[in-house]
Amino acid sequence: MGAADFGAGGKQPRQKRGSLAPKRKKKKRIGFRIDMTPLVDITFLLLTFFMLATRLSQPQVMEMSIPPEVTEVEVKESELLTLYIRGDGKIFYALGQQEPREIPLSQLQPLVVRENVRTESRLITALKVSPKAPYGRVIDVLDELNLAEIEITAQLAAKNIERKRRFALVPISDEERIKIGDLPANGNAQ
Amino acid sequence: MPKIKKRRLGISIDMTPLVDITFLLLTFFMFTAKFKTEAESQQKFVIERPKSTADTSKIPDKDLAIIKIAIDTVAMDTSYYYEMVNPKDWQQVLASVKDLPEEMRTAVQLKVGLGLLEKLIRQTRIVNPRTRFAIDADRRIEYHWIEQLMDVMRRQHATVFNFVTDREGG
Repeated sequence: MGAADFGAGGKQPRQKRGSLAPKRKKKKRIGFRIDMTPLVDITFLLLTFFMLATRLSQPQVMEMSIPPEVTEVEVKESELLTLYIRGDGKIFYALGQQEPREIPLSQLQPLVVRENVRTESRLITALKVSPKAPYGRVIDVLDELNLAEIEITAQLAAKNIERKRRFALVPISDEERIKIGDLPANGNAQ
Repeated sequence: MPKIKKRRLGISIDMTPLVDITFLLLTFFMFTAKFKTEAESQQKFVIERPKSTADTSKIPDKDLAIIKIAIDTVAMDTSYYYEMVNPKDWQQVLASVKDLPEEMRTAVQLKVGLGLLEKLIRQTRIVNPRTRFAIDADRRIEYHWIEQLMDVMRRQHATVFNFVTDREGG
């Protein structure tokens, strides 16, 4: 590239014409240019590599704890909320001994908030999941419960009640699976 | 008639600001880059993690044992995989498990059944009691995989664990 002699280009014709004129010694300016194109090439190459290789979204974690042993705990019927997830991902809920009723995922959060505030944080939430339910659906439900927690804590704090979370993942029984239609009613348990 | 010479057009752009910005971005990405671990580059499956919004806690980078449940899309089978982040602990755990085939002793990630998994979890808890467990499962798997795993962990008194998720929309 002709970038290096760019600065001297303008003077050449004047020197030729002015050969009779007294020679003036002009100090040469030291100006140089480096061709940066290869540098830019390599830098962009590296930049694209690092941009593509890096993982921007770090995975996060959702902490769970399970009781060490399966123990029977007596609970008041009015203070038990059971959530069921059927094999096809449909969600059901039952208060106490009620028959399970279907509920869309978006309605879950208001329900949990309402029931927790009504019972003044004594509510026990049990989640029973069909063995055939997709795991992603379970996480969706847990996520909704976590989101509801913020609202519950805020509403209970207004009433000066301390929030103690009571939640358990409970294995589902065959009778319950029949109730929510996860197993056929004739009792052929798989 | 003298030929008029066509003047060659030579444009030269000052590339210095461009280089400045590019280097800035390059250094930024170089420092923030986190690469795949050895186990991740060896595995033949991709885990589609479930999405969650509420949690803000990041996955710990040491004292961690990861139990993966993944669907191998080539062989079409689902299995448990076990790996640990601390290489020293991993060596000790592998050394303490008897009746392990020789080629499995050098692996960074083991494809395990429930029986071996239980042994590995027990040894992990002996070698480093501070180890936390993370369950990194595909969102498409059926729940009984998780249920059986939780039974195993309950028997080994590893009752606190983490579900690995991805941020919603991220």
